[in-house]
Amino acid sequence: MTTTAAGLADRLRQLLGPDRLLEGDLARNIYSHDGSIVGGDCGMVALPETTDEVAQCMRLAHAAGIEVTPRGSGTGLTGGAVPLDGGLVISLARMRDMDEVDVANSCVWVQPGVLNLDVSTAVAHLGLHYAPDPSSQQACSIGGNVGTNAGGPHCLAYGVTVQHVLGVEMVRPDGEVVVLGGAAPDPPGYDLRGVVVGAEGTVGVVTRVLLRLTPLPPDVRTMLLDFATVAEASAVVQAIIAAGVIPAALEMMDRNMALAVEEFVHAGLPTDAAALLLVEVDGTPAEVVTFTEVVERVAREHGVRTVRVAQDEEERALLWKARKTAFGAVARVKPSYYLHDCVVPRTKLVEIMEAIGEITEREGVMCLNVFHAGDGNLHPIIALDRSDPDETERAMRAGDQIVRACVAMGGTLSGEHGIGVEKRDYMPLVFDHDDLQAQACVRLAFDPDGRMNPDKVLPTGTRCGEVGLADSQVPEGTWI
Amino acid sequence: MDLTPGTREEMAQALAAATRDGRVVDIRGAGLHSRRGRPFDADQVIHTSGLARIVDHIPDDMTITVEGGVTVGQVLDAAGAHGQGWPQAPAQPGATVGGVLAAAVSGRRRLRFGPVRDSLLEVVVATGDGRIVKGGGRTVKTVTGYDLPRLLTGSLGTLGVIVQATLRLWPLPMAERWFTARGDDDAMLALAQRVLQQLHRPTAVILRPGALHVCLTGVPGDVVPPEGMSEGDEPAMLEGPGMVEAGVPPGSLPAFARRLAGDGRAFEAWMGTGVCMVPVASPGEVVAVRDLAMLHGGHAQVVDGDDALRADPFGPVPAGADIMRRIRDSFDPAGILCPGRFAAAEAVPA
Repeated sequence: MTTTAAGLADRLRQLLGPDRLLEGDLARNIYSHDGSIVGGDCGMVALPETTDEVAQCMRLAHAAGIEVTPRGSGTGLTGGAVPLDGGLVISLARMRDMDEVDVANSCVWVQPGVLNLDVSTAVAHLGLHYAPDPSSQQACSIGGNVGTNAGGPHCLAYGVTVQHVLGVEMVRPDGEVVVLGGAAPDPPGYDLRGVVVGAEGTVGVVTRVLLRLTPLPPDVRTMLLDFATVAEASAVVQAIIAAGVIPAALEMMDRNMALAVEEFVHAGLPTDAAALLLVEVDGTPAEVVTFTEVVERVAREHGVRTVRVAQDEEERALLWKARKTAFGAVARVKPSYYLHDCVVPRTKLVEIMEAIGEITEREGVMCLNVFHAGDGNLHPIIALDRSDPDETERAMRAGDQIVRACVAMGGTLSGEHGIGVEKRDYMPLVFDHDDLQAQACVRLAFDPDGRMNPDKVLPTGTRCGEVGLADSQVPEGTWI
Repeated sequence: MDLTPGTREEMAQALAAATRDGRVVDIRGAGLHSRRGRPFDADQVIHTSGLARIVDHIPDDMTITVEGGVTVGQVLDAAGAHGQGWPQAPAQPGATVGGVLAAAVSGRRRLRFGPVRDSLLEVVVATGDGRIVKGGGRTVKTVTGYDLPRLLTGSLGTLGVIVQATLRLWPLPMAERWFTARGDDDAMLALAQRVLQQLHRPTAVILRPGALHVCLTGVPGDVVPPEGMSEGDEPAMLEGPGMVEAGVPPGSLPAFARRLAGDGRAFEAWMGTGVCMVPVASPGEVVAVRDLAMLHGGHAQVVDGDDALRADPFGPVPAGADIMRRIRDSFDPAGILCPGRFAAAEAVPA
């Protein structure tokens, strides 16, 4: 530890007490990882409990010139919460308070450590819920969701995190606390709130989040459709939406995944099917009846083998459990997995599924697919044993080819997991030099010293350059 | 001399030249939303009407990519031919996509479909110094890099010219209809509350002095008159010498509207969203409406009006203004794009 870092540790220990500054090898090792296979280097971990404590931590880090990586539950899949240079991790996991629900405005301020599912649970008695529902929602935190602009199955109809975050309180890199956005719509000026969401902790530390709460739908129906080919299932995805129905969720699972899940959850999934679609429609009772008819008709036109409609809440919950525990079920196949979450235009689903099949077969790795088919957001999960360097190498190679195939089909790198470290160097596949430079300038505008979660999102060497150094030409009396 | 570039490259060249020569530029689409922000003297007006091509429409993906000068009407026609629409857009067929996005103008259906910024997937902008920068992505979902589409939406031409936009489209509803009721303001407010509480996702609940207008969208069985209302037409847009758009927390909108009604003002309150349009005729009225909005936890900006009405178009400087300024400096280093538009009456913090 350098002298500066040692000095910072002393000050942080004074501030937080010895229990809330972790410096031991075990902690530093744990906090050098997240849900991805990226490994980093963590110097120390601060566990603040209030905005004021975060602000003080940030002021101390600012004075010491130390890099800061904010962290929620650490379930991220791209290394976004992994510190790379021995810097300070600020864990928001202890900040778990929720304000009273603002019923009149259907929103609630929460601290970033609050778990995603806990929000919906806490407001259900008011007939409300928090719509974004990542599969890891029992473990992932709102702060992390804000960082990655997280998605989830129900984002097809309801929109991703940024559409449900009305405002954020953020501690800036120099320790100043700022509130961006709020319950009143469209505040004057640039939409900085919209930039903070999805910035992966590179612009500040979000300490409170104003979440929009959505009324629970009056009625809902969940269906499981099974198909003899992936192509048929993919065609149905497109046809349902072309028929004018945007389901609340439209998820696909291939046979490999269904086998792993069924063994684990016993949901009665037809494991001989090549592909399963989990379709949920919601709305008024009349909407649900109409949408269900459309889904069933379209599915039959495309050769569906069976249509299973959840008969009660218990069965619906079971089907969703099958979907949301899918990643965990991979552990029954191999000890670890590697995945990307690139997105393709919906019209390319058949093509990309074929390409993924070819790539993984060629590399001799096992791929399980479970993904948000409705918005073309793939999750090809490559199961692997990381103690096998050859298999790991082949998995990485397959992942690389999958990403390139997605981009070649007009897709993009990430739908909801973010870029982090893992996809950072793919950014030039979708953005040119000027695009990346502009993004670097936006980041620099928030963090002039470049200490916030460095080396994430943008490829190493991406600089704002001269355009960020000029004297301001904004005239007197104007703010922008 | 005015310019009408015919390609994005020409647009970038025009801006690069203006930067080189230190020429202050105003950007003009259809001109429907140009009277925003504090007036400034432009040496040159650059029009987007030469960028009027539909670049790519993929009906099955429900996305459309258009140049910035394409009109809302063109988008609706192209989408409509495939049973799709752009429900977040304002009901102004002549407005350009670039103008609607630059001014962040959302339509009345935002209660159900959200603000216009939610419909922008990818944006291409020509910066003040003539670079062409793309942000976002054409898929319906992406978190790839910093969210330039949201940053550009509402930037009022101060970051660059929107030369291309990819929009997310939605299926046209199976049924849609407007309903009207008339009565005293308290009765209309109570009716609005009832509609908001009892109906699942109404499309628009528009309160005006003495009248309530409700738009319902969905399957035919649901698109029936709410109790106490009968079929009517979508109300015409409010008009006035000037217009203020107030934004208050949605729960405070009834109280805000009640105060406006008590003062005898015309207004159009978009219940459930917090947006309220208020015609104004004098700078004093701007201040009065803004004070009232701030009293209710909101803000108010002048979205149309002559120079006098736009002397202080936004009110207090928002938090993070220094961040905004640095972003602007990097997109428009010479400060040629609509300088002075985001003006403040009070001192601006460094």
